[in-house]
Amino acid sequence: MIKKELIQRSPLRILEKAIHGGLGKGNIGVLASRKGIGKTACLVHIATDKLFQGRPVIHVSYASRVDYIIGWYEDIFKEIAQKRQLESALDVHDEIIKNRVIMNFKQDAARTDQVLKSIEAMIDCGNFAADAMIVDGFAFAESTPEDLQKFKDFARRANLEVWFSASLKGAGPLFDDQGIPNELKVFMNQIDVCITLGFKETHIRLSLVKDFDFPPPGDLDIKLDPKSLLISE
Amino acid sequence: MQMNDRLEKKRNIGISAHIDSGKTTLTERMLFYAKKIRRIHEVKGRDGVGATMDSMELEKERGITITSAATSIHWIDHVINIIDTPGHVDFTIEVERSLRVLDSAVLVLCSVGGVQSQTITVDRQLKRYNVPLIVFINKLDRIGANPFQVMEQLKDRLGHNPVLTQIPIGLENKLEGLVDLVSMRAVYFDGDDGEKVRQEDIPSHLRDEAIQRREDMLDAVSLFSDELTEAILEGEETEALIVEAIRKGTVSRKLTPVLMGSAYRNKGVQPLLDAVVRYLPNPGEVMNYALDLDKDGREIELVPDLKEPSVALAFKLEDGPYGQLTYIRVYQGEITKGDKLLNTRSGEEFRVGRLVKMHADTMEDIVQAESGDIAALFGIDCQSGDTFVSPGLNYALTSIFVPDPVISLAVKPKDSHSANNLAKALNRFAKEDPTFKTHIDPESKQTIIQGMGELHLDIYLERMKREYRAEVETGKPQVAYREAISRMAEFDYTHRKQTGGAGQYGRVIGHIEPLNEGAYEFVNNVKGGNIPREFIPSCDKGFQKALEKGPLIGSPITAVRVVLIDGQAHAVDSSDLAFQTAARVAFEKAYRQAQPVILEPVMKLSVESPSEFVGSVFSSIIQRRGIIISSTEDRRFARVDAEVPLGEMFGYATMLRSLTQGKAEFTMEFLKYSKVPVDIAEILKAEYHDSLR
Repeated sequence: MIKKELIQRSPLRILEKAIHGGLGKGNIGVLASRKGIGKTACLVHIATDKLFQGRPVIHVSYASRVDYIIGWYEDIFKEIAQKRQLESALDVHDEIIKNRVIMNFKQDAARTDQVLKSIEAMIDCGNFAADAMIVDGFAFAESTPEDLQKFKDFARRANLEVWFSASLKGAGPLFDDQGIPNELKVFMNQIDVCITLGFKETHIRLSLVKDFDFPPPGDLDIKLDPKSLLISE
Repeated sequence: MQMNDRLEKKRNIGISAHIDSGKTTLTERMLFYAKKIRRIHEVKGRDGVGATMDSMELEKERGITITSAATSIHWIDHVINIIDTPGHVDFTIEVERSLRVLDSAVLVLCSVGGVQSQTITVDRQLKRYNVPLIVFINKLDRIGANPFQVMEQLKDRLGHNPVLTQIPIGLENKLEGLVDLVSMRAVYFDGDDGEKVRQEDIPSHLRDEAIQRREDMLDAVSLFSDELTEAILEGEETEALIVEAIRKGTVSRKLTPVLMGSAYRNKGVQPLLDAVVRYLPNPGEVMNYALDLDKDGREIELVPDLKEPSVALAFKLEDGPYGQLTYIRVYQGEITKGDKLLNTRSGEEFRVGRLVKMHADTMEDIVQAESGDIAALFGIDCQSGDTFVSPGLNYALTSIFVPDPVISLAVKPKDSHSANNLAKALNRFAKEDPTFKTHIDPESKQTIIQGMGELHLDIYLERMKREYRAEVETGKPQVAYREAISRMAEFDYTHRKQTGGAGQYGRVIGHIEPLNEGAYEFVNNVKGGNIPREFIPSCDKGFQKALEKGPLIGSPITAVRVVLIDGQAHAVDSSDLAFQTAARVAFEKAYRQAQPVILEPVMKLSVESPSEFVGSVFSSIIQRRGIIISSTEDRRFARVDAEVPLGEMFGYATMLRSLTQGKAEFTMEFLKYSKVPVDIAEILKAEYHDSLR
């Protein structure tokens, strides 16, 4: 398969369709679930899909070490390349590395202003024309809507689409009756798209619980492949 | 004595410091108080002798230590080996070796300058290699001395968990002595050279402060010992319990005991030596690993037991009046005079001849060196970084893989005296450092030195001048480019010559293709003897000849497989030479069809800088055709990892310094060969063609 087909046939096109043509620049999407369900893998899959399209991605991580994140990218790239028998995989891989940069911030140091300043430096001084940004491990519980608003303002200014992951904690019910994570309720003015991940029988199901101002459809026709943790149909 | 007891009595320490924080003076005093040198020499050589440890001129001038000398001293029935550590990040192999050999460190800070950028580098290295440390705040006699401020910097700038174990009695020119918060005694240093330690009651004006500071210390320290916590609750804490708790925290790197004094004024050095013995780990408490070469380099934990087979690392070579001296550290088993040992790099066996222990300027003959010991061997032919083992083992303590050099420089001696010395120097350097290579270029007849980077070669140029008095002129540094093909191409070429006398005839048919691993592969698929068997090696030779110099820029061709399928010979006119020529020309013709490209060495660059300069660091990398792979930021520092072509990195050190007020540092190592962008390739080709004219 050549790269173009691979992009067209990606299950992420289904996701894009569900949210009316994609998240779009200046908007914020959130993938929310308990720990260990596969959010990072999902984010990396979304990022890899952009990279296949030649769109530069900044991957911001608050927790994992850089080599660990690179490991995720390598695994997911290998999965996709093998599964779809990608032609000239080595060249595509080199291209991807050029378009990807990982920025790691230690949690205690992660003051939003400083983080955004460094990302801005990457875009301006590092001449990195990012198209999308992945933010993994952002501590929603310890942040305020103002912090997220700063990200949103920045996304608008820098013309980026931004995908966050949110790790839901707590013993009680995590979601309200509309499926919106309780922990994220205060952030709903800033969040444009919210997708939750959860076990349903034998697989991990993706549900769209906020879709801009459209009525959210709930369960999507895509799921996570439990083995590769790739998003699949 | 049992082995464990004997290990318990050893300490292998490094003394790390920023330039001018008084590292050499401190080391000197340590040796003096341990009775190893009779008189104290000042560093600046007021008495014309100079400090004992400072063996290299260059070190003094640049304030960096390039080789590590080891000295052993006795202190309260313990042996302390002091290993000099390079405080510079660029000599990866050198740093790695010395940090391998030591088990713990004393970090020296100036009480005025405090934590400076080089301290940060040194501290990072210690952290990277998980080396436990204690801090000595030196120069309390200087104007503006403020050890409490340095404490804060240890917390804020280095992220340590420092705990004050002493406070000064007076500061600057009023410095009299110290209050030891563990024993709650005042300590004074009497005699001409402060050699008499006198203990007194704490002066009354410092009593309250001492009690307060001791409480702070106990708070921090009790976390490491439940026993101490209980004792404190009952008001029965003993000195031994406190020491044990500090020791636990220190060995696990969770606590940094802080001591202080003025080495120059002979104050505080003996308590520091006490602290080395009390708080720092013995060799038995530090895990050491070797790579088992028989098992694909799997990591093996070494056991500091005398009965185990011996494993030792040759970490430094030194030329002396009696020939080559090899410093070793024993990690496992013991090494006895007359033992047979195997050098696992060269595969050669040798017998241990003279074995000595090095003191600052004398040596002591010994019969045996055991696990945890540092000693020196005479007359062993080896290189730095070699591993010696008992025959039967096949371990390596350092990685065996040595990358090819990526930069070269022509050197020319200025006179015949220098020429002689240059030869000696080159021979020595190549032995010490496997990444440093040297040869004579067959065309220009120039001496070429090769290494892993600009600074790497700079240091050796300096050493030639200083240590070997070899004055040289140098050419421009050259990046080691390569050529390679990017697709398959076929060849079918007949070499025919008929100009009177014996003719020449040879025909070769086949193809060339890119090779994923390795430089060259020759596959012979000729069936039916169309090329007689005796001429197959001739073809191989001809192809290899063609690889030596690519037509694009005259660089060696790499990563190519030649497949010979068919050919033709002539009963009379075919010869070795005819087939060599046929193969060479056939390759050259096919090569042009195979989309040849130029490859350049790409370095893995890692820049560490205060966060505020991260933008400048990004742009400095992008301007040099680099790809930023990642950045990692914590409270104050950012580390940027990138891939950058070596050809763009000349002068980077200077540029980075000016961009970041000297606060950033970088390391660079060879990563891979990559295709040169088209525009650069065109420039290189044009330069090459000009040079041919």
